[in-house]
Amino acid sequence: MNLREVIQPAPDWLDKPSPRRVAFVALIACTGLAFYGFTVGFWRDPVMGLYVAIKLPVLIALTLACNGLLNGLLGILLGTGLGFRQSLLALLTSFALAALILGSLAPITFFLAWNAPSPESPGASAAHSAYLVTHTALIGFAGITANLHLHRLLAVKAPTAMAATATLLAWLGGNAFLGAQFSWILRPFFGTPRLAVQFLRDDPFDGTFHEAVWKALDQLSGGFGLPALLLLMILLTAPILRTIHKNHQTTPRP
Amino acid sequence: MNPENIPGPAQTSIPEAPFSGPLDFKTLFETLLRNPQVLIVRLAEPNHGATGRFAIMAATSILLFGLVLGCFAKNEQLWAAPAKITAGLIFSGLICFPSLYIFSSLAGARVSLSQLAACLAGALALAGLLLLGFAPAVWIFAESTDSVGFMGILAIGSWAIAVTFALKFLKAVIFATGGTQKTPLTIWSVIFLLVTLQMTTSLRPILGRSDLLLPQDKKFFLQHWGETFGTSLKPTLARKPRPSPEAPQLDR
Repeated sequence: MNLREVIQPAPDWLDKPSPRRVAFVALIACTGLAFYGFTVGFWRDPVMGLYVAIKLPVLIALTLACNGLLNGLLGILLGTGLGFRQSLLALLTSFALAALILGSLAPITFFLAWNAPSPESPGASAAHSAYLVTHTALIGFAGITANLHLHRLLAVKAPTAMAATATLLAWLGGNAFLGAQFSWILRPFFGTPRLAVQFLRDDPFDGTFHEAVWKALDQLSGGFGLPALLLLMILLTAPILRTIHKNHQTTPRP
Repeated sequence: MNPENIPGPAQTSIPEAPFSGPLDFKTLFETLLRNPQVLIVRLAEPNHGATGRFAIMAATSILLFGLVLGCFAKNEQLWAAPAKITAGLIFSGLICFPSLYIFSSLAGARVSLSQLAACLAGALALAGLLLLGFAPAVWIFAESTDSVGFMGILAIGSWAIAVTFALKFLKAVIFATGGTQKTPLTIWSVIFLLVTLQMTTSLRPILGRSDLLLPQDKKFFLQHWGETFGTSLKPTLARKPRPSPEAPQLDR
């Protein structure tokens, strides 16, 4: 097995979810995320880099483990014809591709961290903000690419394009909802300069990601949280749906 | 009822049952998920023994989901929440069953009482399995938030998705047994959903805490939800104060 098989999987890739294949894809995902994670935390402190190198693979593993039963059930019920192990392999492949993209960018992000003003410097706040925006953009790009890739895998396997889209959106919704909360529990990742370097904050289960986002959105929009949230969701989902629609027309049938 | 006697368009769509042995848990689980049409045909035959097994699957799954909900307020809710939602769902199924039979007949289905009972148990088992799928995620949030409204949305959202698939299965039952109209089942679905939602108020508190195990006054569920949406467990459960004054939403 080699990396190209994950980046350009054969149409029958999901037909053989052998433990060896699942382990290989999981190893790729963990390695890529660990390398990238190290560069994310490195700017704050090398120890933080090590923490994030551990936490990023853990984040994915926890999300997939907790949603494993749900993802498998939805894969079957929404008509893709995928079993539990095939669903796991499909999702792992998608995460592995994102990890490969991010891992391949790790030397660049390491260079970025190396050259950014240090967290103790007067310009630390601006550097932290720029660092956050850069990584958010990179993670966003890797995530979108991986999900489009996953849709192609599903579209080849599912009897109808609609079943593939429904399954992808259901998986995406469930994993994003829970993954966001795990990212909250496992914080910090970037490491706010004025806060201590820690593996986990003192009370990791205090609050939820979604409540924090809601409060921030409500505050920023001057009390118009709901319209702002709806607008944000439309802006986020419209391009995804348009790309998936285009994907329907270009996906080769087996 | 023998499916060969069913008149109408369903006759062409009913597949042959490929299995004739006893329906064990594994077979029921796999057929319910992968091939409900075949299961519906098999349930028309006598001595399938599926009703009880489906009921066990449903009750066990919902008990576990209830335990997860009970983890939100902890203490007595660890046993009260699972007991209440399991009892509430069984009660909802029982009081809605007669109307399901009538409404399915109105839709044109020719389904026997025992077959329909097995199918309703199967639908609840399917909903229970989906709730079990949601359980780990719900537990993470139950341990993280104090907001009753947030947990309420999460629990009701999970139930809405689970019951959607359960009702889809019942719709397949109606059409596979000769049904031609979907309006009666749609009406029944709304009724069933309202009954289960009212159970959240009739058996309150399920998420929050109270000195009473069951409520003394009667309320409509929308009123109860409106009153409790903005509440938090914090005034009643002492939690550790946050060690630093920083706003957590800024810590990424």
